Amino acid sequence: MAKNLSGDLQVASANRLVDGMVVWLDEAGQWTDRLQHAAVARDPRGAEILLERARAEAFTVVDPFLVAVIEDEEGTIEPLSLREKIRASGLTFEAIAADAVRYA
Amino acid sequence: MPDTHFYRYDDYDRTLVAERVEQFRDQVRRRLAGELTEEQFKPLRLHNGLYLQLHAYMLRIAIPYGTLSSRQLRKLADISRKFDRGYGHFTTRQNLQLNWIRLEDAPDALAALAEVDMHAMQTSGNCIRNVTADHYAGAAIDEIEDPRIWAEIVRQWSTLHPEFTFLPRKFKIAITGSPNDRAAVRVHDIGLRLWRNPQGEVGFEVIVGGGLGRTPMIGKTLREFLPRDELLAYLEATLRVYNRYGRRDNLYKARIKILVHEVGVEKMREEVEAEYAATRDGALRLPVGTIEAIARQFAPPDLPPRPAISGPVEAQRSSDPDFALWLKSNVAPHRVPGYAIVTASLKPAGSPPGDASATQMEGIADIAEAYSQAELRVSHEQNLILPHVAVEDLPRVYRSLAALGFAEANVGKITDIIACPGLDYCALANARSIPVAQRISTHFASLARQHDIGDLKIKISGCINACGHHHVGHIGILGVDRNGVELYQISLGGDVDFGRTALGTILGPAVTADKVVETVDAIVATYLDAREDGERFVDTYRRIGAQPFKEQVYGPL
Repeated sequence: MAKNLSGDLQVASANRLVDGMVVWLDEAGQWTDRLQHAAVARDPRGAEILLERARAEAFTVVDPFLVAVIEDEEGTIEPLSLREKIRASGLTFEAIAADAVRYA
Repeated sequence: MPDTHFYRYDDYDRTLVAERVEQFRDQVRRRLAGELTEEQFKPLRLHNGLYLQLHAYMLRIAIPYGTLSSRQLRKLADISRKFDRGYGHFTTRQNLQLNWIRLEDAPDALAALAEVDMHAMQTSGNCIRNVTADHYAGAAIDEIEDPRIWAEIVRQWSTLHPEFTFLPRKFKIAITGSPNDRAAVRVHDIGLRLWRNPQGEVGFEVIVGGGLGRTPMIGKTLREFLPRDELLAYLEATLRVYNRYGRRDNLYKARIKILVHEVGVEKMREEVEAEYAATRDGALRLPVGTIEAIARQFAPPDLPPRPAISGPVEAQRSSDPDFALWLKSNVAPHRVPGYAIVTASLKPAGSPPGDASATQMEGIADIAEAYSQAELRVSHEQNLILPHVAVEDLPRVYRSLAALGFAEANVGKITDIIACPGLDYCALANARSIPVAQRISTHFASLARQHDIGDLKIKISGCINACGHHHVGHIGILGVDRNGVELYQISLGGDVDFGRTALGTILGPAVTADKVVETVDAIVATYLDAREDGERFVDTYRRIGAQPFKEQVYGPL
């Protein structure tokens, strides 16, 4: 689905079945709506395993896929691509009456 | 329900839509229960207009031929408030998109739509999509015949048509009943233009193989003059030829425009006419009684002639410059003396083009009830139209629209921008459209400046699928992704006016997002320096060519 830029670190993402909201797979194998709780795969083999695990936990989500991220010194992760940044942080403008989060 | 002057569902329509809602309710239940996989469910939800976008499900609601009653618009507002985030996006296909629908709520949203004779069928999938028409239909001074009568006939024929539910690709039909084409008929899979031949008979010019997207094409005339009662049989023959020969091996070559381009319009005509000869006198020849019964439902409202000049209007025109500009750009002549067609601009400076909150939708429904026979239209330029306003009511309508933020005097001007949802919402997009439109519209917000610049259409798409019609913008802007960076390719000289339809030409290398406004500014400055009396932007461009614009944007070459 999404285009990934190349990167060593990956998280697994999907859209929640019931409402389409963006979610990521956490270490416990649960889908979370908080990117910072996502499990991070740190090498290609880890990414393969993470994706397999995401697919195995896909009953409540749609089409899991891997997202390339970067991590700063404090452990904060951020997607590399603009598309995934927008998926993570919401609209980049003020929608009328929307409670979407502005991406800074 | 207030009496409407357009088609009302009969029992057949109501039953069909109600059954479809209940079928979808069961499909959603089975999906949520895990009885259907996403692979099995996806085509079912798409057939009901439910997409999965970046952040949420999006429901695309069909607004047939762009016509709405105030009651329907109130219901759309209600649905957006109850099941979404209290706003909606009017699209270039005269539809409404709700961007935050929950899957579990979608059947209830569809049931609510059905209460006002609406649905979301055929707003996705490789079928005949919602038929679009001139947004001045039924009111335009230049109208030969109301195109919505024929759009409704096509709607009935094409709804759940078993033979055309799995075409090679989606199929879009647009109809105009006026010589001044406001429905962009030359850039649709089939465009239908009603005209009067030298014998005084009214029929259709059938145009085929137009389209935008990855491979933009201007449609070619398949049949110069088609008698009206032969419309469905001829459309069926054309669709049948497309269904038989259209490519299914390559998604990007599957539209009818590619077929017409590859075989040539003469061969296409030969095939269609052969198919047509075998079926023309069959069940699809429209009986006069059927046409008349539908035409009666589009009978114009009773509008007693009124004075064409109103003292208070003229007084305000003299004293209020913004009102004077609004009269100039947002008010069009009506076919009944003493009335006018008013365009409510959904493009206030700095706002997302085509978006309206539930409160704004209700507000404009109020205005339609008070001043426009409880009727509205959605334009493919993403504005709302009040089709039947008495001239003497114009100051009140202006004031009421201003209270909603919809009285910007910018229709046809540089800030009346068409923009697709872009990368902020859309799963297909490569770049953002709406923030670019907002920056341009903020930069050119001065109404006096806009009117000095004159008619200039900017159209922005966030990807090559061209939902924002960038190919036919006087200034077209296409967002592309180059190694993770949003760039914007500028094209000039596109046009959808009939007889002058043209695809824009790329000006030069794409520019970064932060350079788009200054690039547009440079293009406008070049035009203002070079224009001659009465020339629109696109006229000047045609006269002087691209070179002066290139030099201004990129420096001496």
